[in-house]
Amino acid sequence: MRKQTLHGMRRQEGFLGWLFVAPMALGICIFQIYPILFSLYISLTQWNLVGAPRWLGIQNYVNLFTEERYFPKAMSNTGTYAVGTIVPGIALGIVFAMLLNQKIAGRFAYRAIYFIPVVAPTVALGVLWQWIYEPHFGILNAVLKVFGVQGPAWLGSTHWAMRSMIIFALWQGLGFNIVIFLAGLQSISTEYYEAAEIDGANALQRFLHITLPLLSPVTFFMLVTGVIGACQDFVTPYILTGGGPANATLMAVMFLYGKAFREQHMGLASAVAYILFAVIVTLTIINFRLGKKWVFYEEAV
Amino acid sequence: MNEQFTRRTFLKLAGAGTAGALLAACAPKAPGTVQPAEPTKAEGEVAATPAPAETKKLVFSSYTWSGYEAAMRGVIDDFVAANSDVEVEGQYIPDDYWTKLQTQVAGGTPPDVGISDYGRVVSYAKSGVLLRITDLVAGSGFPIDKMLPGAVAQYRWGTGDFDTGSEGADLWGLPSDAQAQLFAYNKNMFDEAGVAYPTDDWTWNDLVTAGKAITNADANRWGFLVPGWGMWMRGWFGWQAGGEFASADFKTATFDSPGIAESIQWMWDLIYTDKIAPPPGLQAATNPFMSGQVAMAIDGIWWVPDFGTVTDFEWDMAMLPKHPQTGSRVTTVESDGWWIFKDTQEVEASFRLMSHLAGEAGQKKFGELSYVIPSCFPEVGREWYTKTPPEHRVKALDNLVAESRKNFLTFFEVWTILGACMPPIDAAFVDGTDVQAAIEECNTVAQQELDKAWELFNQA
Repeated sequence: MRKQTLHGMRRQEGFLGWLFVAPMALGICIFQIYPILFSLYISLTQWNLVGAPRWLGIQNYVNLFTEERYFPKAMSNTGTYAVGTIVPGIALGIVFAMLLNQKIAGRFAYRAIYFIPVVAPTVALGVLWQWIYEPHFGILNAVLKVFGVQGPAWLGSTHWAMRSMIIFALWQGLGFNIVIFLAGLQSISTEYYEAAEIDGANALQRFLHITLPLLSPVTFFMLVTGVIGACQDFVTPYILTGGGPANATLMAVMFLYGKAFREQHMGLASAVAYILFAVIVTLTIINFRLGKKWVFYEEAV
Repeated sequence: MNEQFTRRTFLKLAGAGTAGALLAACAPKAPGTVQPAEPTKAEGEVAATPAPAETKKLVFSSYTWSGYEAAMRGVIDDFVAANSDVEVEGQYIPDDYWTKLQTQVAGGTPPDVGISDYGRVVSYAKSGVLLRITDLVAGSGFPIDKMLPGAVAQYRWGTGDFDTGSEGADLWGLPSDAQAQLFAYNKNMFDEAGVAYPTDDWTWNDLVTAGKAITNADANRWGFLVPGWGMWMRGWFGWQAGGEFASADFKTATFDSPGIAESIQWMWDLIYTDKIAPPPGLQAATNPFMSGQVAMAIDGIWWVPDFGTVTDFEWDMAMLPKHPQTGSRVTTVESDGWWIFKDTQEVEASFRLMSHLAGEAGQKKFGELSYVIPSCFPEVGREWYTKTPPEHRVKALDNLVAESRKNFLTFFEVWTILGACMPPIDAAFVDGTDVQAAIEECNTVAQQELDKAWELFNQA
């Protein structure tokens, strides 16, 4: 029997190692990397899914900014939605997390209740909120009527539809924000607060100078993931408004979906995906750069 | 030979085998393998190549919803019982059927026979995805002349045509049903307002007069429901007023032509001038006719089963009101249908299945099962249309037989063009802003999109 050298054994072990990871690696290559590269290629073509792709170069990208009249609208709506959901979402998350961080009776039940919308299907919640927003029979306008206010057509008005969608998204995401900020609050050592109290700091000062700075890594996380999530949101407008009325709630991914599967312009749709990807990457880089100025890591002290 | 089959050897072979299998299973068909639409060799060979002893396996795909699948299976079972040499594997897709189908087509794995979309006939036929069935129909004696011409026209397309419907053009599918538009009215609301029920002599003006008598906006009770553009683009109001949405050669958009502009203005007036219809934003989340919010509605006949569940009020149907000057009450005959994909290996069996589904026997069965609205054969369909409720369901069929055209939403790039040009109209209807300005903007955009679509059409 031939003796194996150490080098040979290592090579064999290495080969076996690759063999073991091969199914996963192949899966990633076939189901992730290949589609990503294929869609990049498709974004440079005109393709209706059933014929042969026709090479266009960067024309789809140019067309999005010069000829697609609703692409800028979709992008600006996405921006409005992102700002409208992230900033108040973070603020509300901090406020409610601080409330639920108090030693109040039933706080665990409250936490669970706030988290229910996070785990419930968005489709079901969307249908529920369509009824809440219903102009004549909905509970929201019924409550407003008690106070003598004639509620608007929440989802049926170009003026109110985006706001209504943002309110829904804030409500749905609040539980997640609360849990994350709650975890952040509970990781802040009580020693800081005790020391501050001894120094005579009042509650507001303690919040501004201890809580907020030490929550900044969590806030930063929420900001980055919030931007990504808002830019990619599809289900919320799809279920609540279908992008209407008159494109008032048309967002980037809905625009992409419509181009791909309604109009059969796969090249254009793929180009939208890459532009959205570029926007998200850019915003994330900006967030990281700016984050260095305001994110305070406790262990860095 | 003293080498043993070691664990490592086994793992190597297993790993390599798995990798190979994965690659083989996942290798997609290259896009662009579809051939241009040319007469298929199979068409002429159908009669010459039957293999009765061999079981032919067909894949059939369809969208589905509550009750529909059972009806479809019933019709397919009848076919299989009468055709023992054929097995049919049904793919029933509950959500987003067209996305699934499109993905199958792109992946090179379409079914043999499937429910068709009239809006994709031009692009699919032009791309060579569909089997041309002109000769199959002619050779089989399928009674196509007995079908409603408008329904069949949706599946006629000739090379170079921007839209379907050219007389004598090739057939790329057969219609599955004949969806009419219904004009429904809430009898209780009419009675309460002391207004006589609609008759076959009604014109648009009668609708407005009755609507004014019935409407009580403060109580959220309205005379009429203006359908969304997805419905009225089926064309009837504009066509009734003598208009066309595009020139005959489809080179020029004519949304601002007198008939079309008049009809759009009329619908806008119903909301903001006559105030007999709720603005779109104030419409109930459920169908406003079903919720008792409106007394009259024009919508698709497919609402009949749902309207039939209403117990709070009595309702009935009438023929569409006529245009006061032209006297036209033209409606759309709208039909999904069946098509055969060109890659099928079983042309003859596929056509047999399609003939059964679209034919009189299949249509009769669909009618009996109630979940599918028949039929392109008016006399077969009459059985469904004479059922109740409502008492005068047959009025929709009468309207269809008296005056109907093929669906308008069949031209090349239909959703791209309409998706671009309709939002200004939408905004005018939602916000009550200047509708004439919106019509002009709509037409300008439609023309730009039409020009682009023609460019694409000529390149493809």
